[in-house]
Amino acid sequence: MPGIQPKAREGAFLWLIKILAGLSIVIVLGIHFVVNHLVAPEGLLNYSDVVRYYQNPWVVTMEIFFLITVVTHALIGIRSILLDLNPSDSLLSIINLILAVAGVGAVTYGIWLALEIASRGQ
Amino acid sequence: MTEGHWHVTFCIYRKKGDQPPFYQDFPLEVDPDEYVLDGIERIWAFHDRSLTFRHACHHSTCGACGMLVNGVEKLTCITPIRAVTKNGGTIRVEPLRNFPVLSDLVVDMAEFYLRMEQAHALQVVPVAQSTLPYEPPPFPDDGLPHQRLNDCIECGMCVSACPIALTASSYQGPAALAATQQTYSLTGEKSLLSLVDCADGVWRCHSGFECTAVCPSNVDPAWRIMELRRQVIRHRIQRIFHQDR
Amino acid sequence: MKNNQPAPGKALRWFDPRHRQPGTWAFILNRITALGLTLYLALHLIMLGKLAQGPDAYDTFIALAKTPWIKVGELLVISAGLIHGLNGIRIALTSFGIGVTVQRQLFWGFLTLALLGTVIFGYFMFFVH
Ligand code: SF4
Ligand code: FES
Repeated sequence: MPGIQPKAREGAFLWLIKILAGLSIVIVLGIHFVVNHLVAPEGLLNYSDVVRYYQNPWVVTMEIFFLITVVTHALIGIRSILLDLNPSDSLLSIINLILAVAGVGAVTYGIWLALEIASRGQ
Repeated sequence: MTEGHWHVTFCIYRKKGDQPPFYQDFPLEVDPDEYVLDGIERIWAFHDRSLTFRHACHHSTCGACGMLVNGVEKLTCITPIRAVTKNGGTIRVEPLRNFPVLSDLVVDMAEFYLRMEQAHALQVVPVAQSTLPYEPPPFPDDGLPHQRLNDCIECGMCVSACPIALTASSYQGPAALAATQQTYSLTGEKSLLSLVDCADGVWRCHSGFECTAVCPSNVDPAWRIMELRRQVIRHRIQRIFHQDR
Repeated sequence: MKNNQPAPGKALRWFDPRHRQPGTWAFILNRITALGLTLYLALHLIMLGKLAQGPDAYDTFIALAKTPWIKVGELLVISAGLIHGLNGIRIALTSFGIGVTVQRQLFWGFLTLALLGTVIFGYFMFFVH
């Protein structure tokens, strides 16, 4: 009978990041939504609109920040759900690896895409 | 103020040893103002002496009689039959969730008690020191001295109701976390915080607030878990500025 | 003697709303929307890759996105985002000890806001644009 055995796994730090990322998403997503779906006259931007929109460096910065916070929040959240399933330590380290690779991959891909689109305007 | 007798059926979870569990019906004539536990005792006394269940005090003090009554955690000694069924109705009685069943309605609370001990759960806390964020109900105006206590009676019903305890056996659970918060707020013992600042501690809670809903003793475990988070964060921040702690 | 114990296999019972309080309903909604939104995030990132393939690929894709069924799907995503985001505010607040005693009211309030938001977005998507 093990009783309480504190294991690090998810401490205050990851949890705080999840909450803070969540809150910034709420703010940035608001802006993202209004611009992409309400202000754009056709409801959705077409290709040239997107390229023009990405000429503004603030937009690129905001979208990249948004990307990072969303991916972070999503992956920490998924990890948190998996933790509710009480994985063994070895399984958890595999999960950690998969999530980290997915996260870095998604962010790298997203940043490349954003910069690629921005460069099309010139 | 009884309105004659009711006919109700107790549908009781049975389980012995390695045999598969099943439900057994016991039709009973009851006074609706009797308690659910009275019915169970009557079944044991007159119908089936092999029925096992836990109880002691009969007045919501020992915490032994917690069971699932029609799907909801109840202290059966203070739950009137009238409150959970109607004349001609059924009362389904099952053991608490998230604890291993030893026999029929009896669950194994050993690890739960161990966790309470590790959380340094205090035996008796007067309401004045209970740190809850609201006023306790007023005392009757009868000139007698009153002291209200705010105690976890270690019934385990909060753990039974918790959706996270359903899948994560290592989750410390609402009762132990609430006890940690109560003890920490009275003693300031820092080692308590490191016990709960982990995945199986305060950070495992997903704000279902079921524990607070079923707690028969006004412990308000959910509020205490949130408060404990605050204390953990505050302590962490303090530690950044004062390396000595 | 191993029955009735916590077990990962019971995860589906997280989503059983019977005999549960609004707190758990919020938890259930939050978890379902979390999984849905993560799936959407992956699809969204992949689809935006069409941008890199040039105007034709992207504009064909956008034309597809304007068909009614895709729009319904998008409205679901928006609704999920609103529910998850607003309930997330509730969780963040209560996690810092704010409003714990009124968490039910917060749940109903934010849920109402989320539904209102869905209706407004739906109106714009289907009737204005
Ligand atoms: S916190 Fe309440 S529900 Fe949980 S064990 Fe203590 S008295 Fe029972
Ligand atoms: S018998 Fe003691 S609390 Fe019910």
